[in-house]
Amino acid sequence: MKGFKAALLALVAVQASAGAALAQQKLTMWSRSSSEAFMPSLVKAFNAAHKTQIELQIVPNTEMVQKYAISAAGGSAPDLLSLDLVYTPAFAASGQLEDLTDLVKGFPFFDQLSKAHLGAGSYEGRIFGTPMSADASVMLWNKKLFKQAGLDPEKGPTNWAEIEEYAGKVNAIGGDIRGFYFSGACGGCNAFTFMPLVWASGGEILADGARKATLNTPQMRDAVALYRGLVAKGYVPESARTDAGPNFFGGFATDRIGMSPIGAFAIGNLVKNYPNVEFGVTFLPGKTGGKASFAGGDNFVVTAGRKNMPAVKEFLSFVYSLEGQTLLAKLGSLPTRADVAAEAVKSLDQRYLTATEAMKIGRTPSSPVYNDIINSSTGPWKQMLNEVFFGKDVEGSLVKAEKTMQSIIDQSGK
Amino acid sequence: MTQSNPAKQRSSGRRGTRLRRQQLAGLLFVAPAVLLVIVFFLVPLGMAFWMSLHNWPLLGRPRFIGLTNYLNLMNDQRFWNAMRFTGYYTVIVTIVIFAVAFPLALFAEKARPMIKVYRTAIFLPVVVGFGSASLLWAWLMNVDVGLFSPLAYRLGLTEKPVNLLASFDTTFWSIIVMVVWKTAGFNMIILLTGLQGISTEVQEAARIDGASSWQRFRRITLPLMRRTIALALILSVAGSVLAFDQFYIIADGGPQNSTVTAVYWIFSQSFVSFRLGYGAAMSMVLLAILVTISVVQLRLLRTPEGA
Repeated sequence: MKGFKAALLALVAVQASAGAALAQQKLTMWSRSSSEAFMPSLVKAFNAAHKTQIELQIVPNTEMVQKYAISAAGGSAPDLLSLDLVYTPAFAASGQLEDLTDLVKGFPFFDQLSKAHLGAGSYEGRIFGTPMSADASVMLWNKKLFKQAGLDPEKGPTNWAEIEEYAGKVNAIGGDIRGFYFSGACGGCNAFTFMPLVWASGGEILADGARKATLNTPQMRDAVALYRGLVAKGYVPESARTDAGPNFFGGFATDRIGMSPIGAFAIGNLVKNYPNVEFGVTFLPGKTGGKASFAGGDNFVVTAGRKNMPAVKEFLSFVYSLEGQTLLAKLGSLPTRADVAAEAVKSLDQRYLTATEAMKIGRTPSSPVYNDIINSSTGPWKQMLNEVFFGKDVEGSLVKAEKTMQSIIDQSGK
Repeated sequence: MTQSNPAKQRSSGRRGTRLRRQQLAGLLFVAPAVLLVIVFFLVPLGMAFWMSLHNWPLLGRPRFIGLTNYLNLMNDQRFWNAMRFTGYYTVIVTIVIFAVAFPLALFAEKARPMIKVYRTAIFLPVVVGFGSASLLWAWLMNVDVGLFSPLAYRLGLTEKPVNLLASFDTTFWSIIVMVVWKTAGFNMIILLTGLQGISTEVQEAARIDGASSWQRFRRITLPLMRRTIALALILSVAGSVLAFDQFYIIADGGPQNSTVTAVYWIFSQSFVSFRLGYGAAMSMVLLAILVTISVVQLRLLRTPEGA
């Protein structure tokens, strides 16, 4: 019995010391699948140069929030997380995140970090999320197909009439080549790529500090008419109608699509994985010109109570170094530190500059019920988009969705 | 009288101890089962009910709100839409499953060449998990790279590839076909055991008396299979009311949220909107409905003699 007790104690001691050592050197981190192009490389570069090791796990975009929330409730959340920035306030409010204010403000380049990220990452005056990666929505066009269709391969669309015209010409090539692609059953994708069309034309989705849903507007009806036209004329592949997001990027990557509104993340991914696709990048235009973009991306957050601040500081210092920013930019994320941004994208082509510009004019709608009203697969935004793009009763769908959205917003206030 | 009394008392005392001992032994024998039921059913059920009385976010602190969740639920149009769809699905799928499984059972009961191969083939899809089966069918139904629409297009049956998931009817019936493919074998096995439990003597006697095969089926097979049918029916209905995987994986609740089932909506409220308390309240309502349906079914299918 004594021996057994001693052995047990020894075992506990070994485990405790191993645990302490692990906490120092090995951290777990999750990142969503749209960051697949750059996060693994970034973490690998960090691990190679540091004693602290980070073990990265990629989680599907649509599962990220649930998975984290559930594992946080069960106490098995990862130490670090690259979190879609729109969720940072909700996570911080629930007390799940470590306060990073002192650490971040300690950086001499604090003023240069992306304001959109820090804005979304702040809760009650404290900072819980700092910029990890940045993404802005842009329009991609396929230069090879434009040339084949007799269009100027160096000029993307600058208004909606051009979108329709170019899509028609590319579509006329025939075969399985189509003019335009979007994920017709994905709320998040279209928040990113369809909302800016409305913004660029002067419309709003949420007004009054996100207290009021404004879906049934002339700008929205016009934008809907554009997409309906593209669908009705057969410029959009049949599969777009039921694509809940898995093909958001894959559609354009097939090299059979003329144009697709998508995020800057696609640039890095295409360059790396689909070198045959020759593409151009331009702004998402308004009805008669103008431009807008959805400033998205991820905030870096730390699960509360893990006591790993030195390692966190080490990692963030690396991310915000010129080396880290260059690596991120090279693989598809936009730089998040302004004073080294120009240097970081210097070696890259024009396309990144367009995306960096888009990031500057980018907007981030923020609402505590963002997931409910926009991203949720059973939410009103997704249902409305599918109805108005492919259904019959546009007006009715807009009115119904606006009502549902408003009631969700109102209920959350209670 | 006075003499017999102590003896009687003694013996009744002894009997009492023996009875108590027997009862104790019985209790010990059922204890593991009772423990299982308590730990894995009653306690979670109680916790779920307790949760349903709270505003219980997935992240953050729960707050007691009494019956508010249940009151909100009454006016939740989307929950009742989901319930209505679930009811519709349950009725249709149960009818179709029986319409397929009964003939299969009749077919598989008779001894004929290769019958074991048939039985195995029909039963095989049952051992595939619902999740994997759904993934398989999601691919089969894909408009670009799947099987059905590209095949129909290649064969010249349709003018262009038809996106099966784009309209409610094609989505719904495709999923019905998938569920029947997946579960008919299981129902066939249950019905088969019932069929094989009917003694051949009864059938033979009826035949000698000149009963036609329809009469024998109607007057002998069906009544004697009452309990088997009740079992298969209750399992099928309960499974259908709790349907989730296939609608989540294949259709994502689409098109336009028209195939969101009750469990899907509970999942969505609990783990997408993080309203665990509200999800728990809806689960309680669903449980109550399911229990009611099962009780009604048992009543209706009870054998008249109570046997």
